[in-house]
Amino acid sequence: MNQPPGPAPAGEEPGDDIEYADPGLARERTELAWTRTAIAFAALGAAILRYRPVVGLVILALSAVVWRLGRPPGPARAGHARDRRPLLITVTTVAVSLAALALSFLGPGISPLH
Amino acid sequence: MTDHPGRDGSPVTGESGDGAEPDARYTFANERTFLAWSRTSLALVVGGLAIAQLLPPFPGIPWGRHIIGTPLILLGCAVSVTSYLEWKASQRALRHGRPLPRSRLPQILAIAITVIGLIAAALALLSAVGVP
Repeated sequence: MNQPPGPAPAGEEPGDDIEYADPGLARERTELAWTRTAIAFAALGAAILRYRPVVGLVILALSAVVWRLGRPPGPARAGHARDRRPLLITVTTVAVSLAALALSFLGPGISPLH
Repeated sequence: MTDHPGRDGSPVTGESGDGAEPDARYTFANERTFLAWSRTSLALVVGGLAIAQLLPPFPGIPWGRHIIGTPLILLGCAVSVTSYLEWKASQRALRHGRPLPRSRLPQILAIAITVIGLIAAALALLSAVGVP
């Protein structure tokens, strides 16, 4: 990235956008977004864990993979439309929702109430 | 900003005329938007599963929970796939300096949740008055 210029010239991006001063914050915010997504997966896995331990453990393992994906080895992969990580997230989400659909009809396998 | 130079200032061309490397902040913002929609779809799946499994059955309407839960899970599926397609389209647009395509997801989500909400309200009313 170019060095951060001071006040933005007229017609360009607003100078008070903090990312304009430090683009590294954009990367950090994105890593945090990946972390939140991994936590969402983990929450789903933990919720299923009580009723279907195997399915829940698989989703918990997937959340670890998602967390790892948020820390790419280098900047090279980001920015390409061929970046495979979003596709991986979508495939995982579709698989998990199909599993959830099956579970919603099968009913709880193990009741935590006894 | 009419063109998006690469990190070294010169346009970076992908392997197959893939456009130029956009400003990294736009790429990150696009990725965050995709991730936010992904979390939304996961929340829809969790909600649908919870309604189908944890909610007490509607009196007199044995399939009531599935009538609400299944569309929520399918909506989560649809939001996930659509958000991926829109992330890809936006990334292409960024790489070619074109205007971003308009997102259809807010419309999809608003209409679907309205319909599901109305169905839920109807089920709650029906089970309250007692279905013959």
